Amino acid sequence: MFDTQTPEKTVTSDTLKFTARDVHVYYDDAEAIKGVNVDILDKTVTAFIGPSGCGKSTFLRCLNRMNDTIPICRVTGEIRLDGQDIYDRSIDPVQLRAKVGMVFQKPNPFPKSIYDNVAYGPRIHGLANTRADLDVIVEKSLRRAALWDEAKDRLDSPGTGLSGGQQQRLCIARAVATAPEVLLMDEPCSALDPIATAQVEELIDELRQDYSVVIVTHSMQQAARVSQRTAFFHLGHLVEFGETSHIFTNPSDERTESYITGRIG
Amino acid sequence: MTDLSSQSVRSHLNRRNRHQTMIKGFGMAAIGFAALMLFILVSSLVSSGYKAFTQTHVTVEVFVDPAEIKPERLPRGGFDDVLLASLKTYFPDVSGRADEKALEGIFSNGAQFTLRDRIVADPGLIGQSITMTVPTSDPFDQLAKDLVKRDTPETQRRVSDREIGWFDTLDQAGAISQPLNWGLISNTDSRFPELAGLKGALMGSFWALLVCFVISFPLGIGAAIYLEEFAPRNRLSDFIEVNINNLAAVPSVVFGLLALAVFIGWMGMPRSAPLVGGMTLALMTLPTIIIATRAALKAVPPSIREAALGVGASKHQVVFGHVLPLAMPGILTGTIIGLAQALGETAPLLLIGMNAFITSAPDSPLDSATALPTQIFIWADSPERGFVSRTSAAILVLLTFLITMNAIAIYLRSKFERKW
Amino acid sequence: MTTAAFACLLVFSVIGYVWNRQAATAIRRDGARLHSLVGFHGAYSLLVLLVPVLVLILLWLLLQGPVIDMLLKSGIGAQLEGLGTGEVQLIVAEIKSIARDVVFGTPDPWKIEAAEQLTALQARSGQLLLVVVAGMSLVLVALSRRKVSAEFRARHGVERIISGLMIFCSVVAVFVTIGIVASLMFETSKFFAKVSVVEFLFGTNWEPQIPLREDQVAAEGAFGWLPVMLGTLVITVIALVIAVPVGLMSAIYLNEFAPRKFRAVAKPLLEILAGVPTVVYGFFAILVVAPAIRSFGQSLGLDVSPNTALAAGGVMGIMLIPFISSFADDALSAVPQSLRDGALGLGATRAEMMTGVLFPAAIPGIVGGVLLAVSRAIGETMIVVMAAGLIAKMTMNPLDSVTTVTVQIVTLLIGDTSFDNPKTLAAFALGMMLFIVTLIINIFALRIVRKYREAYD
Repeated sequence: MFDTQTPEKTVTSDTLKFTARDVHVYYDDAEAIKGVNVDILDKTVTAFIGPSGCGKSTFLRCLNRMNDTIPICRVTGEIRLDGQDIYDRSIDPVQLRAKVGMVFQKPNPFPKSIYDNVAYGPRIHGLANTRADLDVIVEKSLRRAALWDEAKDRLDSPGTGLSGGQQQRLCIARAVATAPEVLLMDEPCSALDPIATAQVEELIDELRQDYSVVIVTHSMQQAARVSQRTAFFHLGHLVEFGETSHIFTNPSDERTESYITGRIG
Repeated sequence: MTDLSSQSVRSHLNRRNRHQTMIKGFGMAAIGFAALMLFILVSSLVSSGYKAFTQTHVTVEVFVDPAEIKPERLPRGGFDDVLLASLKTYFPDVSGRADEKALEGIFSNGAQFTLRDRIVADPGLIGQSITMTVPTSDPFDQLAKDLVKRDTPETQRRVSDREIGWFDTLDQAGAISQPLNWGLISNTDSRFPELAGLKGALMGSFWALLVCFVISFPLGIGAAIYLEEFAPRNRLSDFIEVNINNLAAVPSVVFGLLALAVFIGWMGMPRSAPLVGGMTLALMTLPTIIIATRAALKAVPPSIREAALGVGASKHQVVFGHVLPLAMPGILTGTIIGLAQALGETAPLLLIGMNAFITSAPDSPLDSATALPTQIFIWADSPERGFVSRTSAAILVLLTFLITMNAIAIYLRSKFERKW
Repeated sequence: MTTAAFACLLVFSVIGYVWNRQAATAIRRDGARLHSLVGFHGAYSLLVLLVPVLVLILLWLLLQGPVIDMLLKSGIGAQLEGLGTGEVQLIVAEIKSIARDVVFGTPDPWKIEAAEQLTALQARSGQLLLVVVAGMSLVLVALSRRKVSAEFRARHGVERIISGLMIFCSVVAVFVTIGIVASLMFETSKFFAKVSVVEFLFGTNWEPQIPLREDQVAAEGAFGWLPVMLGTLVITVIALVIAVPVGLMSAIYLNEFAPRKFRAVAKPLLEILAGVPTVVYGFFAILVVAPAIRSFGQSLGLDVSPNTALAAGGVMGIMLIPFISSFADDALSAVPQSLRDGALGLGATRAEMMTGVLFPAAIPGIVGGVLLAVSRAIGETMIVVMAAGLIAKMTMNPLDSVTTVTVQIVTLLIGDTSFDNPKTLAAFALGMMLFIVTLIINIFALRIVRKYREAYD
């Protein structure tokens, strides 16, 4: 099952999903993101890399307005999803987040059953009219997250009882269940062991067929393994953005080169 | 370099160790003092209170004399004469109004009413002999419990030698018994210690706590959720926070003044009512519940909030669907502890008149009533000797409730406590 | 009638919920995509109805009594002319009891008539309430039904209402404070209209007896609070003299020296001491402590009064031991481990580390705790009401009987009170002073404690 097939390193789509223009983020007066422009493509894995504190997670959280929950955080500039400004007043961040799902650094299943974890999103968004509909969504999502075979016999047991890697795949299933178009992943493997990491990475590559995936990672190997496009952040600037193969083999900025070769980090 | 084993270093070290032992000794002594005080407190209450859990009764054959009690005159009739006659079978030589009065004093004042109630319920008893077990009056109860010492001089005793003689005769005849004193729970207050019970106070406390809970629980949770999860961090929410912390430290008697002026004076609510008492207690419990709820909400890890937000739950759905249920055990624990405090609170209830002498249990929060702690205060203030042990007994009842409530709180905390 | 009004409200709320929910479900069945879940559409109707109508009913019940009283008094205005407030109250109470069929003797016919009028008024008020509730419910249910549509953001509406309710809850605490300040100030100002501020603040004589008859001689009443305050201070000092050393020493021992098992037993023991209601301490003082002190004093040939300041203060001290000990324990625990390690690493004994490093570092937190204990002692009521005296004396002798602010408040207000004599009002003036003093101490103490916590966080 785990053959060493390397993911397609070429970009297969050129439909734009996100376009960000001149995005600045401030915490009180401190500027965390200093004018970032980026285009994120559909059905592509885009990796954000960079040293810690470079703002890659902050920028990621702008894409589904999770930063709204931090009172001192202020975002300026323009981020469009399918051409629509997501910071427009008419946009309900709640519905935005159903469309732009998120997976967090530490697996954070709700202290409920596996079934209820996955069913939570569809329930609050009214995606299923009947219990049967819901069952279908749950099964599909768990299959999508490659967790169905392990979980199908214990759907009623608590999600917190799973292993770390399973928990993270459960969180992915939970995010997938609301039928999002984009999946944001904030260092999804940093709390996992190597085997679980490999499973999740493989899953990410499969998810690319249906979703646009944006992944923040501190591991360059991971970025090289799973992503087609890579953005390198440094001190709040987007230093370099392009095809992964290009960035890793032939960086044009010397800061990128220093980071990749391990001189800064 | 100094030699670490030299004489001077060693004696210096000894001195330092003695210093440490001394400090430890002081600490142990302090804790010992506190424990000793707790021991004296509890043991003095138990030793003076346990006797109130039994009550001396006298059992007599009563001939319901049709000459004294006539069916058509009920509920009036010479019930006390009938009772006296039953005693006179033991002491035929007692005569004269004063002596008869003294003899009759063996019975509690309530005996004739017990007899009356029985006969009113069943007039067919007239003309028959019935066996009655009724409480003795307080002096004889004290005598039976050895609280009145027989070797004290007669003039300093509440029962005369002759009365002791009567009592011993009855005792030898097997007419005296000391069953469990259910009246302590099932009777309402009375001027006579042997009849006084806590029913009114228990019901009053129940109604007051119910009102207190109904008001303070939703208000406290609402306020805590808003302040912890929704309120913007600005001057206003800072002010509210400082306000709540200060409110928690305002002397309880001031809340009584507030209730007296606002609830009773301005709003015209009834005095002595558990409703007003409960409202007052609610205001005092509110800060406790708010502080406990905020702590419980704070303990829910942010990752749960992020997870729910990440799948597109609104802030309200996150809080009411995830955070609040997870915080519930902590909130309930805090609430129970707050209610236990409210149950023991006395001063504000005194000011709103819940220390009145009331001989019926309240049927609703609007009836006049006392509460457990105010009843303790009333009894502690009563001059009759029999109320001393009853006060202790009432305190033991109150402490039982408090210990039960706290035990429930501790159980809840340990059962549902979640390590994140 | 009130029950009927509540029932009516309940029925309409359920109807509103079900109706809106079904309407939303129908829209969804037709294929439209709803902004909000159907449950939110139902809940919107429920809340839009429940909140305002409930407020209306409560206000109605609150105001009904006074309004009916007013109508009743104006109805029998002729008979009440020239009577004092006390007599008017008596007559009103009598009429009310007649209306409840509790009749003593044969009342005047006009009173019976008034009682009938009262019953009629009460009935009419109930009917009116029911009509208003029903009408308002109908309108609100209809209005919220009209809003149901695919785009209607019912969830936002529901969340806005819930937020509003929560804001109301948080503001209640502020209202309570305002209520305390306002009622105390109002009654106190009435008191100072009768007694001069200067006499109150600086007078050394407290005899709040008031003349029973207008012409009674020699019972003017004196309202100088100094002896009362002095008594409060004496008892507070006695309490602290016991509580502070015992509390601190036990905290030090528990925090640093006690074996884990001992600590596990001793801490709950102290908490029990903290959980005992004050009325129990009061009884303990009169049952055990006061007689013990008295007989001990007499055996030394001292003249000991039956309710000594020592007994009340001593028992209060016992009550405060756990309070101070837990504050000190927290303060000591908040000192960072690095400071402990630093001292021990230099070769200090644990006692030297405690006295030389930990304790000084924890002083601000401890001082805050002691200040809070002071405010507790000043405001403590039941122990002193039961164990201290009633007569205000300018004395600092702990074996004498003294009185305190709280004792005077309670004794002045126990029994029937009317709000227009200086005796009652004096209690509010004392309450005002008590509130101000404890508030200042509390704010000061809470600020110290907070600063201290922040310093080590």
